[in-house]
Amino acid sequence: MPLILTEEQKLLAQTVRRFVGRRTPLTAVRELLSGGRSHDPEVWQQISGELGLTGFLVPDEYGGSGGTLGDLSVALRALGGGLVPSPLLASGVLAAGLLVELDDKSVKHEWLPRLASGEAIGALATTEPGAGAFIPALPTTRATQVGSAVVLSGTKTAVISGADADVLLVQARTATGAGIYLVEASADGLTRHADRTVDLTASSATVTFDATPAVEVAGDTVAALDRIVDLANVAIASTQSGALEACLTMTTDFAKTRYTFGQPIGAYQGVKHKLADMYNLWALSDAALRAAVRAAEEEPERFAAAAAAARSLTSAGYLSAAKDTMLLHGGIGCTWDHDAHLYYRNAIAGNVLAGSADDLHDRIADKLGI
Amino acid sequence: MTGTEEFRAKASAWLQENATPFDELPDSEPDAGVSLEESKRFQQALWEAGLAGITWPKEYGGAGLGADELVAFNQVAADYRLPTGPFVIGLGMPGPTILELGTEEQRSRYLPPMLRGEEIWCQLFSEPAAGSDVASLQTTATRTTKGWVINGQKVWTSGAQWSDFGAIIARTDPTVPKHKGITMLIVDMHHPGVTVRPLVVATGTAPFNEVFFDDVEVPADAVIGKVGEGWAAAVVMLRHERATIGTGARRRTNPLGFDSLVELARCRGLDRDQAARRRLAEIYARETSLAAYGQLLHEETDVGVQIGARGSAAKLAGAELQLWAADVAQAVLGADIALGHEDLRRVVESIVSAPGHATAGGTNEIQRNIIGERILGLPKDPGVDRSTPFNQLRLSH
Repeated sequence: MPLILTEEQKLLAQTVRRFVGRRTPLTAVRELLSGGRSHDPEVWQQISGELGLTGFLVPDEYGGSGGTLGDLSVALRALGGGLVPSPLLASGVLAAGLLVELDDKSVKHEWLPRLASGEAIGALATTEPGAGAFIPALPTTRATQVGSAVVLSGTKTAVISGADADVLLVQARTATGAGIYLVEASADGLTRHADRTVDLTASSATVTFDATPAVEVAGDTVAALDRIVDLANVAIASTQSGALEACLTMTTDFAKTRYTFGQPIGAYQGVKHKLADMYNLWALSDAALRAAVRAAEEEPERFAAAAAAARSLTSAGYLSAAKDTMLLHGGIGCTWDHDAHLYYRNAIAGNVLAGSADDLHDRIADKLGI
Repeated sequence: MTGTEEFRAKASAWLQENATPFDELPDSEPDAGVSLEESKRFQQALWEAGLAGITWPKEYGGAGLGADELVAFNQVAADYRLPTGPFVIGLGMPGPTILELGTEEQRSRYLPPMLRGEEIWCQLFSEPAAGSDVASLQTTATRTTKGWVINGQKVWTSGAQWSDFGAIIARTDPTVPKHKGITMLIVDMHHPGVTVRPLVVATGTAPFNEVFFDDVEVPADAVIGKVGEGWAAAVVMLRHERATIGTGARRRTNPLGFDSLVELARCRGLDRDQAARRRLAEIYARETSLAAYGQLLHEETDVGVQIGARGSAAKLAGAELQLWAADVAQAVLGADIALGHEDLRRVVESIVSAPGHATAGGTNEIQRNIIGERILGLPKDPGVDRSTPFNQLRLSH
């Protein structure tokens, strides 16, 4: 499998970029956010319906749209470049991805088509207060048998799109280990508080369960969640790669048109060299991302390390690029009205989303057997 | 079988018979132990088998084939140690330049012996006061009744110690702006006025030379291209410079590479240390990303996409990675790095040589300028020297 994009993928990238430019440019995103909404339902409908992105990871038999991980990565780059707020990561990657990995045919039949079409929004609840690992080794949220039913008690934090979800997949502890439990938004004893995140374009929530009815989802929980970490890393890396590229483009354009001391500022090495370094951050992390997508297909035993490696580079690179975007724009780059801080905030949060740099490096070391 | 496949099979069969696979070489010194005579014999045999000058015209000793055959050869040759080091420069740069810009006489005289390994060439560009800004070179070529006389000094000249000829750029007119007063000439390295002195680098080895020219006469027909158009000829030559992205130049294991540092950490019991493991993981991420980038550029070249200045992005990334890995190695190994332990000797040598390797072929700052200007389209640095007559410029001496 080549690293260069197929013609279809190039077309997909173009299509999604055009969609972002027309339907959800940053001006529209700002309006959305000032209105206090986490995402635009019409944009979501087009992401899931016309573009079919929510179905890319879902098999055909469950209503999937026949895309590959590589295709999804291409689309996510374009969405990431526009900081488009949407539950796609939570629903189309984490929740749908987890159900696909698990073994519960009846839950799959009931929920995957709805997630794939975008009709229902899913979210994955794993992180807990305290140590804050993305996937705790042993969660404290408990699943207890009450008669023939199961109820959950506990708290989950940093639930991506938690407040927007129609259905939650919750990692909970049982007598014998940990399992995944499905909770509908209408369930009793469920409380959700949206987080006031540093990233204005993100949506996450703290979710509390108080004897909340739940349905067990059968399957190898540990293996499935480990796979989800890889998918999350590729998805986040893709979004960040697109955002990094947007920072580079924005700042390069500014460097060509902003004059000082008689020259465009990009003529000066202080600016030029920072942009050259930003280019390399993007180019190398983009290559790593392509290699990770290829590993998923061709070298599955290397996929986990490759996905974590790609994400470690995009997260660190994006944070550096977003910060330098603010700095290289001078004073105006630090105002509310300028878009730079939106990227910077997104980069700060993305740097710790579903795993920090240390977590990623530990994962690489573990998977390589160092 | 297509023509290309036939050629690939022929190349593969010949290499199996005549060359040593990398796998069979002791890793410690894959380049050592090859005499100049052995190299010359090998190059001659390669030529006799029709595997030298694959894309060069038949009338000058080449095989007269196309890019597909060249790619096929490079692919099968990647697994073998080819002792053709002394010829790489000649065949990579002056050769194609003479092919492109030279006279019929020059092509007939110089290309066949180059291909047969009978004559070795070097490239004489950089000077002590003209590296990044090589166009401000000060070596002169003054007109005489019979031709030209060359005076000056070149530096960083690989292979000068065994070269028969050199392609030199020299100043023929100091009264015009720097780029306009340069001429490229062929110089006989055996002329008594040529002195070659080994240049010892920071590690104590001498991979390069200084070359001094004291009244070195060359005939009038030594000019490659036209008088005063040496800068354009130099640009042609730099364009032909063979990239080593996957063209069979497999290097020794990098002592600052992931595999080596993991082994080192294990030997020193550091593989249980959380901080060390994280640093090694980061090296893995950066090293594999660079390999992926190189592959991506290779794939694009294979489908005919011009990678342009992105070779500079790859070079900068490689240089920065090595310098950063040197920092990581020092952090992981602590005080022992300074005590001369035998098992750390290669790592220490790599740390000391990292800045030199970064600079060879262009400084990091020049690479950043190239990326900024030719990839991102940023304006050139403000400068005064492009239109000023050379003899009015401020120069280093």
